Amino acid sequence: MRAIETHDLTKTFMRTESRPGLAGALRDLFDRRQTTFVAVDGINLTVDQGEIVGYIGANGAGKSTTIKMLTGILQPTAGTLNVNGFDPHRQRERFVSTIGVVFGQRSQLWWDIAVQESFRLLQRIYRVSDHDFKTHFIDGVAEVLEIGPLMATPVRKLSLGQRMRCEMAAALLHRPSLLFLDEPTIGLDVSVKLRIREFLKELNHRYETTVLLTTHDLSDIEALCRRVIMLDKGRIVYDGTLTDLRQRWAGDRTVRVVFGADVDPGAIGRACEREEETTFRFRLADDEDLSDLLPALVRLGPIRDITVLEAGMEEIVRKMYETGGATA
Amino acid sequence: MKFYWDLFWSYIAQYAKGRLEYRADLLAGLITDVLYQSVAIIFLLVVFQQVPTLAGWRQEEVFFIYGYFLLPYAIFGALANGVWDFTDRYIIKGELDRLLLRPVNSLFQLILEGIELEPLMGLITGVAIMVWSGGALGLDWRWFDVPLMLLLTAGSTLVYMGIYLSLAAIGFWYDGRTGLLPLLWNVNNYGRYPTAIYNKALRILLSWIFPFAFVGFYPAAYFLRREAFLVWSLLTPVMGVAAFGVAVAIWRAGIKRYHGAGS
Repeated sequence: MRAIETHDLTKTFMRTESRPGLAGALRDLFDRRQTTFVAVDGINLTVDQGEIVGYIGANGAGKSTTIKMLTGILQPTAGTLNVNGFDPHRQRERFVSTIGVVFGQRSQLWWDIAVQESFRLLQRIYRVSDHDFKTHFIDGVAEVLEIGPLMATPVRKLSLGQRMRCEMAAALLHRPSLLFLDEPTIGLDVSVKLRIREFLKELNHRYETTVLLTTHDLSDIEALCRRVIMLDKGRIVYDGTLTDLRQRWAGDRTVRVVFGADVDPGAIGRACEREEETTFRFRLADDEDLSDLLPALVRLGPIRDITVLEAGMEEIVRKMYETGGATA
Repeated sequence: MKFYWDLFWSYIAQYAKGRLEYRADLLAGLITDVLYQSVAIIFLLVVFQQVPTLAGWRQEEVFFIYGYFLLPYAIFGALANGVWDFTDRYIIKGELDRLLLRPVNSLFQLILEGIELEPLMGLITGVAIMVWSGGALGLDWRWFDVPLMLLLTAGSTLVYMGIYLSLAAIGFWYDGRTGLLPLLWNVNNYGRYPTAIYNKALRILLSWIFPFAFVGFYPAAYFLRREAFLVWSLLTPVMGVAAFGVAVAIWRAGIKRYHGAGS
């Protein structure tokens, strides 16, 4: 079954430019200068039930706008979309009961009241029966996320990590089959991050919940998603596995070597950058193995430490453009 | 329908719980309300010291109108606080996103999130003023006056909500500061005086464009047995439904073109 299906999904915004000065403001009153800005440009996307998909791209690539159309907040300018069998914007009130949404930067809980009261209100809003609330939520999701001890605390007194766990639980209270996560681990410390990732895996495994994850943190994607969709300037530039993405565009790895003495790295005839006094960075090409480089390094002098660095998201995007092969 | 009713009470219960946590604020809110109403009454008293009648309306009659006006004013104050910072909070800061992600009518949620209970104190003041001034005027009450008053109050409240929700919904198109809401907040007070004291233009404004006359004067005239205004009085519920209908239509159109906040 398809969880998400879009055809040429497009969203353009009108931007009003204002002229400078008082005279300009007066002119603006009668003759507004408007420019069109294409945020999402003809996206074709299909996600099957039970997939965990990483939706990545730089700031302003159109990720949030896509998510807002998929969740029914925004009406598309053109194209069609079907999510869980609904037209999200037109059938909004029925549609949103089938999805869960977590915006890392924004809370959906009530600031002043205790966590359990927020859950109670959401229970009413989503018309969840007392039985389901008890067995699936309190003894299920809330138990796994260890929310019990937080129940009586007002939301405003929670730490960021605690709040995120509560947000996650709140988004799952009505047992949605599709979960949208927008930067869910932003600002969280490593242990909370790991816990949330484990939880999502479990959720996906047990209930076949589809997850669409937007993040800047490639390690989130690495831990969770087999499939990655990369967006740039409103278009999909890659749709495939993360391994493939890495292999095709981030083949060059960087080897960081700390020597135990002063060395002259030029002696081995390789380009390198000096990071610190005795720390250098060497490029390892796509088809090279570490063992091709090691003998030369050993000849240079004593080695204290050696690290292989994988490319981050910015690096991958840059490479895609350099090689010009940015089509899926 | 039952779902909406239950949800309404859940929000009220939560509001009360949240409020009890800040007892000082609660007290301050109540005192402010009482002060606001006292100032208005003192103002009326001062006016009548100078002129014993207002365009043929006796002092007690004007007090009675004010008493009636306090009923829709109180209910509106309890229900529609979402309108004041709608543009700022819901459009610019994007909190509307959150409302749109829930399976409940978005306008209804805006009202729910703006619930406050303190303004309801005005109901007591309003009834007290009507009983006192009605007594002074020797009004004879008939049994159906009570249900009729409930109906007219409901109509007046809808007029109030309709006007302010319509203005708030302008935020969908224009998210700058219009200053319209505070401006109209002064106009709303005009509705509690006999329309005879205004010129024709202002009368048309208060009857048809921003129909604040239906929030105070027209419906109150019925209970004062001013037959000349009978049609206007009974028009109140119709105007209420119409004004609220306009607000709902503007809201719907706005939701269609909502473009969300930032990224």
